[in-house]
Amino acid sequence: MSEAANVIAQVALGVMVVLLLPCAYRVLKGPSPADRLQAVETTTTLLIGITVVLALIQASTFVLDVAMALAAFSFVATLAIARYLSEGRVF
Amino acid sequence: MVLREVIGLALVLGGVSFSVVGIIGIVRMPDVYCRIHASGKVSTLGLLGLMTGCAILVPATGLKLLALALFLMITTPVASHAIAAAAYRQGTSHVGAQRDELGGRTVNAPASDQT
Repeated sequence: MSEAANVIAQVALGVMVVLLLPCAYRVLKGPSPADRLQAVETTTTLLIGITVVLALIQASTFVLDVAMALAAFSFVATLAIARYLSEGRVF
Repeated sequence: MVLREVIGLALVLGGVSFSVVGIIGIVRMPDVYCRIHASGKVSTLGLLGLMTGCAILVPATGLKLLALALFLMITTPVASHAIAAAAYRQGTSHVGAQRDELGGRTVNAPASDQT
């Protein structure tokens, strides 16, 4: 990538990191437990986006393994917590 | 800059702007269900824009990003649906809803609850 493209990618990375703060606000404030669960799930989505931009800046594919593991664990955890919220038990 | 870089950076910036819009919706929407709707923008359009832009700018990451995009397109709607169903079964209130088509019944509710 050229120098200007690198600068733009780093600005995008900064914006994505700043976006984590409103999610933390919703996790802390959210009136219902489903609000908090949904905000945590959005946080992991944003972290996946951050790792994608990081892979773009470093031009390496290895960072994307982190994104894959994060996506898989976030899916399982969200399903488990949602089941716990609706039925009162996980298994 | 080459044309390929311009297209890739436009896609990356589009993904970032969709993420910004979704997060604004998460902060400002009045209801759990509306917030789930807003967070769907972050996970589909925002992440897909970022990943397409990254695959165009750095073509070596294309295969892994394709696998990641397929996995996310399958799992995120399932997770959003699970959160919405959990919120509904907990009796979380709708803001401004005129009527409840489910009427307190959900798919997995026991038969004695159905009127």
